[in-house]
Amino acid sequence: MNTLRAWVEERLGLSTVTRYLEKKEVPRHKHTFLYYTGSSIFLFLGIQIVTGVLLAFYYRPTLAEAHASIVRIMTEVPLGWLVRSVHSWSATFMIALVFVHLLGIALTKAYRQPREATWITGALLLGLSLSFGFTGYLLPWDELSLAATKVGTDLPKALPLVGGWITRVMRAGEDVTGDTLSRFFTVHVSVLPLALLALLGVHLLLVQRHGMSVPLEEERKGAKGPFLPFWPNFAFREAGVWLVLAGLLMTTAVLAAPGVGLKADLMAPAPAGIQPEWYFLFLFQTLKLIPAKVLGLNGELAAIVIIMAGMAAFLLLPFIDDRPFERKGQIITGLAWAALAYAVGMSIWSLL
Amino acid sequence: MNARPRVTAAAGIFLLVFFVASGVREARAQETRQPSLTPDAPTAAGPEKPAAPRPAKERMAVYVLLAWVWLSIGVLLGLLRLRVREADRVFRMGLERPAEKTPKNRVTDG
Repeated sequence: MNTLRAWVEERLGLSTVTRYLEKKEVPRHKHTFLYYTGSSIFLFLGIQIVTGVLLAFYYRPTLAEAHASIVRIMTEVPLGWLVRSVHSWSATFMIALVFVHLLGIALTKAYRQPREATWITGALLLGLSLSFGFTGYLLPWDELSLAATKVGTDLPKALPLVGGWITRVMRAGEDVTGDTLSRFFTVHVSVLPLALLALLGVHLLLVQRHGMSVPLEEERKGAKGPFLPFWPNFAFREAGVWLVLAGLLMTTAVLAAPGVGLKADLMAPAPAGIQPEWYFLFLFQTLKLIPAKVLGLNGELAAIVIIMAGMAAFLLLPFIDDRPFERKGQIITGLAWAALAYAVGMSIWSLL
Repeated sequence: MNARPRVTAAAGIFLLVFFVASGVREARAQETRQPSLTPDAPTAAGPEKPAAPRPAKERMAVYVLLAWVWLSIGVLLGLLRLRVREADRVFRMGLERPAEKTPKNRVTDG
């Protein structure tokens, strides 16, 4: 064993990494639990990749075969239903954790100088995660996913000048067809993963460069607060959290496996009760509620302008909230709570 | 949270609610199912496919697997707890020990 270890060490020099991790410090304070959310996203990302590859062995991204291949995965492939369920639920868990992670950072103002770029890469990673969800939702090609994709891809149309072009690029044509399905599949399994890995690399590099942020009240104390070495003290704790999350994922996947609806019919009207994934529910409900005309503007255009303004504000939050612990910062915190309450409220309303 | 942010948050929620409430009637109209273009056309896909295996034997196998998963997690958590305690003990010893200063040009016997 020691010979093997020496052989590996001579070639890869892994002890450099171990030494670095031993020196890496994890601050201990009342918000330390938030650090686990970042690393747990990795767990679900890994599960997504593994189960995604397994599903891709059997999935056929064509109009004629997509639905049938999902049915085959569900009914004929050994444990295919479980792999699909784990893939679906780990996406849910991952996006939920990304939200919690960003929310924790926003509320503890961890994006303050010099971590603005870390926040921006994190917000972009949230965008990529949502894009994974959006493109993946169409792949079963059932009537619900078709209707939801029609609504989602129709949204940019309201934008002047570029709106129609964006919709055509997303749909690979004027309408949602088999070409849209192929395009979504390609984006889902190649474009988005590459973009995500690249951005994740930058994000992690920035996290290592600046270290873990501590809340301001801890920073104000001046003296260095209590900490734990990342390796092995924090890593073992993290492993425990990962185990519990993996167990919860497995249990949810077994007990609440998603089914597959009726095959999508391009000529059929939208079915009743169409809904996107839970993380788009608040947008979906907002769009339903916005009147046809808002202050003389087209309602859809007003909605998309508001949504884009919200996204820009979210992305540039560290620059908007440049005095996080003064009155301005407190007002922004208040608005953030209001936005959160709005999103939760709208999502619940949409489900009722 | 201070009073000012709380008031701002409440005002924000009120404005948003007011804004969207004006579109409730339209949303209800959108939610009403539209008449089908091909009402009598049979669907080729058949009924909705079940999500998990239905045979009792297969279902039982899945639940047994789940029980094993949690049992394994329990054992691993127990082992991890021991490792965490040990790692913390070693770390505390290292922290509490005063820094040893090695004298420069120390001459060793022999």
